[in-house]
Amino acid sequence: MKRAGRILLAAIVSVAAAAPWLAPNPPDRVFEDLLYAPPTRLRFLAPEGFGAAGLYIYPQRLVSRLERRFDDDRDRPARLQWFTDGRLVTVPGAQGGPLLLLGADRFGRDTFSRLLYGARASLGLAAVSTLLALAIGALVGGVAGYAGGIVDDLLARFTDFVLVLPAIYVALALRSVMPLVLAPATVFALLGAIFALLGWPIVARGVRAIIASERERDYASAIHALGAAPSRILLRHLLPAAAGYLGVQATLLLPAFVLAEATLSYVGLGFPDSVPTWGTMLQDASNVSLLAEAPWTLAPAAAIFMVVLAVNLAVQGTGRAPVQLEP
Amino acid sequence: MGRTGPAAEAPVARGGQIVASIRGEPRTFNRYVAADQASELLSLLLQARLVRINRSTFELEPWLAETWESSADGRTHTIHLRPGVTWSDGMPLTGDDVLFSLRAVYDAKVDSVLADSLTAGGQPLRAAAPDPQTVVFTYAAPSGRGLRLLDGLPILPRHKLEPALTAGTFASAYNTTTPPAEVVGAGPFVLREYQPGQRVVMDRNPRYWRKAPDGSALPYLDRIVLQIVPEQNAELLRIQAGETDLTSSELRPEDYLPVRRADEEGRLRLIELGVGPDADAFWFCLKPEVKAKDPRFAFVQRPEFRRAISYAVDREAFAETVFLSAAVPVWGSITPGNTRWFWPDIPRYPHNDATAKMLLREIGLVDRNGDGVVEDMKGTEARFTVITQRGIGWYERGTAFVRDELARVGIAMEVAPLELGALIQRLQACDYDAMYYRPVMTDLDPAGNLDFWLSSGPSHFWNMSQKLPATDWERRVDTLMLEQAAELDPMRRETQFRAVQQIMAENLPVLHFAAPRMYYAHSARLRGVVPSVLRPPVLWNADSLSVSP
Amino acid sequence: MGRFLARRLLFALILVLVVSSASLLLARFAPGDVTAQLGPFATPAEIANTRARFDLDRSPAAQWLLWAGRAIRFDFGDSFLYNRPVRGLVGRAAANTAALAVVALALATIVGIPLGMFTGSRGGPAAAVVRGASLLFLSVPPLLTSLFLVFIAATTRLLPAGGMTSAGVLDTEWSAWLLDVAIHLPLPVLALALPIAATLERLQSQSMADALHQPFAVAAVARGVAPRDVIARHAWRVSLRPICAVYGLAIGALLSGSFVVEFVTAWPGLGRLMYEALRARDVYLVSGCAAMGGLLLAFGSLIGDLLLAAADPRIRDAQVGA
Repeated sequence: MKRAGRILLAAIVSVAAAAPWLAPNPPDRVFEDLLYAPPTRLRFLAPEGFGAAGLYIYPQRLVSRLERRFDDDRDRPARLQWFTDGRLVTVPGAQGGPLLLLGADRFGRDTFSRLLYGARASLGLAAVSTLLALAIGALVGGVAGYAGGIVDDLLARFTDFVLVLPAIYVALALRSVMPLVLAPATVFALLGAIFALLGWPIVARGVRAIIASERERDYASAIHALGAAPSRILLRHLLPAAAGYLGVQATLLLPAFVLAEATLSYVGLGFPDSVPTWGTMLQDASNVSLLAEAPWTLAPAAAIFMVVLAVNLAVQGTGRAPVQLEP
Repeated sequence: MGRTGPAAEAPVARGGQIVASIRGEPRTFNRYVAADQASELLSLLLQARLVRINRSTFELEPWLAETWESSADGRTHTIHLRPGVTWSDGMPLTGDDVLFSLRAVYDAKVDSVLADSLTAGGQPLRAAAPDPQTVVFTYAAPSGRGLRLLDGLPILPRHKLEPALTAGTFASAYNTTTPPAEVVGAGPFVLREYQPGQRVVMDRNPRYWRKAPDGSALPYLDRIVLQIVPEQNAELLRIQAGETDLTSSELRPEDYLPVRRADEEGRLRLIELGVGPDADAFWFCLKPEVKAKDPRFAFVQRPEFRRAISYAVDREAFAETVFLSAAVPVWGSITPGNTRWFWPDIPRYPHNDATAKMLLREIGLVDRNGDGVVEDMKGTEARFTVITQRGIGWYERGTAFVRDELARVGIAMEVAPLELGALIQRLQACDYDAMYYRPVMTDLDPAGNLDFWLSSGPSHFWNMSQKLPATDWERRVDTLMLEQAAELDPMRRETQFRAVQQIMAENLPVLHFAAPRMYYAHSARLRGVVPSVLRPPVLWNADSLSVSP
Repeated sequence: MGRFLARRLLFALILVLVVSSASLLLARFAPGDVTAQLGPFATPAEIANTRARFDLDRSPAAQWLLWAGRAIRFDFGDSFLYNRPVRGLVGRAAANTAALAVVALALATIVGIPLGMFTGSRGGPAAAVVRGASLLFLSVPPLLTSLFLVFIAATTRLLPAGGMTSAGVLDTEWSAWLLDVAIHLPLPVLALALPIAATLERLQSQSMADALHQPFAVAAVARGVAPRDVIARHAWRVSLRPICAVYGLAIGALLSGSFVVEFVTAWPGLGRLMYEALRARDVYLVSGCAAMGGLLLAFGSLIGDLLLAAADPRIRDAQVGA
């Protein structure tokens, strides 16, 4: 099970990394006639006079915009093109595209491509925040654990206090204080900072405990007796002992941050609508009457679910409280 | 006599309740100090006016006033009140209440939101009551709108509110913490309960003065509940689930489909209200005091620039794409939905990129460096940001569409969706290049919207509250609008207003692209529905609504 | 015991003070203020009046002092959005959130703990199914579950798709009102409770397995006591101890989860109220919500600690002695 989790996680990350190649269409390309279009059906055909047998689609035509009705243009089957235009598979517009594997959203943008690019944004933000949280937490926890005494005490109280607060409310408050509409790069930096701020206390607490116990070990006192500077002892000898813990903590923070981004973007306080992230794509799902007609809108929910599932499978048996207790 | 619901097919069933959803909390039950939608709806249900403008036929109907005579010069109007009308607590309604209401509206401490629109020739109305059933209004100057002004004045009871007016606390009278029994009115319903965050409950007024055509008492309904549902998605969900009978506003284009399905299954009725009376609006801030230093202002202030934009936008495609084909192209502020004042022959700008480019060239805007964006002689690019309200589907589609159209003629435009609060702040400070919005006019009669038409008006969007008109054509518009507001002859008013529309179409301070066709949904059990393009679409006629058993 | 309670009270007071003051200052420093809600055509006089009403024309420090002075007398100011005192609004919203959280926690406990004991004490296909289901529900955070449940409710129309009460239910006695709320509860409660139930199941399962490997259990089985009796008499109590520690953490998770669930299912709780208040920069409502949230948190963690003390005598002694 653990291996399954790790494999799934690795698969998701590689798909995200390869998004520009895997996506059949650019994520911001608007197909004005295909608002809320359903997924194009793949067909295996050998049509007369159109070419060899293979995978084809029928281009979708708009019948009524208000009633969102489309039908297939059966006179012009279009063949799937592989390894063209720098993409794995696509159907160029001129030949009857677009290929909409998961339908289109309310602007007529390809959901599947946005999902892949969204993986980059959401996972990228989560990864950056995780690294920051780990770095800050390790440093602060290490110092506290090594110094002991009043520094340790103060830090422990501060950490306990911050840990009591529900994370999403803190994120909400901090985010609402900023101007509500910002450029995507600014939002990325802001959210990264907020998440790192939320994540470091729990890392610090664990690192502190490890360092505090490592400090008492023989090898540590030996190095100290040899005259090494405290910072050197901390960085080169004690902190590496926390590496295992940091690794596990990283896998737990990642999905929590993905969820946090999804929540904030869903309520409108995350990325602006034009940026494809899983959270902004979920906003389409807030119109529930639409969901019944266009269930592919829930695709980002499925993606988030897979990430969380992968992590939960991967940390099984390490004795850690699973993801859900971290909001 | 206008569109009515299914004619008398069966005797009207009495009793029952309906639930309508509203989006915001009522801030007060005192219409004199609040102008939001919830307050307007509540005042329609709880209070009565002297006359009523029928929201479907736009004719003036007798209401609390039974008959009236006007002098030839349009300055004196004598109103005869309906006899035997009582307030919901039983006290008789007389001319003293009318005089009191006027006093309250113009009182300085009250600072009423209604005061500005209840004027003739810029002066407050004066009134006297020679006997309890007669009120004589004296206007300082003739007013084209005449008695239609009084549709905006709910009459409030003197015996309940005079102490507050004398003490200077009228503005906080009839607020949301007032005990319901104290909120006395002459409307079809009385306040029963207000649960903040949840609902407002109103019961039928047993002392309501109006009678059905067959003489029986109105209203038919026993109770109306206004459920507070802050989000439009949630409103739609509720009406589809059968929890509510009416929503607060017309449907969005994207909601047409699920409601159509529900109509086919018999769960809802989808009705078309008609073309909305308000068109969308796209304008640049043209305030010289703020924009003079902006190098782009040199060409933005030229009407040719705006005419070029008007030529560049294909309005048919706009209506098709942005409103999902549920709209009609328009070239002026008055849409076909405003049947009385619409002018079909207003100058149009057919879609023509070549003409647009030529106009730009005329004022010196040419693409000099081959990057696809035109510049003037000094090298200033025609590059702008347009702000609009975030989260509304057709605003986002509309700005994206205009951006793509303008890119073809060499004008680069970026879209910045903002929260409503931020949008309003930027509007008031002229802290924006261009804005795309759909302002809702309060009155179908242009003389009721002088705050928009006059250069000194606070809603004269592109250059608000000017001391003196900044341009020659704005001065001409000011003169014409004031003339037509005081003109009594309807034909002359029409001619004068068409001259105004002509000037606006030539100078294009605001561009209009399309006016949406409005659709609305109500539950299948509602009867007596007379739809209107003005809000509230169905509840304006609440005293004649009923439910099928 | 008294000293323990006194310390917790102090902690609660500090938490409430810090959290509400911080949010008051945050809302104050945010760009824009509540006057934006007045609409585009508000007169300068109106704007000035509103600012004065909410002490926005004074410095942040002065505003905080005024607010604190009133707060001590339990007057938390007025809300602009609702035109009423903050106290009543926040109290009602907190009650709704607390009700949701309590029912969700109760459901999670009733479902999760017994199932965990079951899977922790034996193998076999049934236990494997439960374990698999747990893993699945663990991975569905409240955001996704509530979206999905609302979708199901809207399409099948079996349950109301949101809100706390139906529009048409009025004038009713307690029983009918309770029934109405009860119909609206399953959606948000399920969304909140499922992941927590799965967590509890997993933890209880592990804890039970650990308890069964402890010397006393092994010895009992060696002595010939039936496994079921080992569980029923000794192991279950031992296995509960680590779980009680988790309840304290669960409060924070519940509050966070309830924000999203309230948002998606339109449950009129504290989370939704705070969100609206933050968006509108309704300063006193923001700090009122934060204060109430802090109170709920402090109360919840107190209960958590009491549970822990009840389950583990070592902690109890330490606490009492401290």
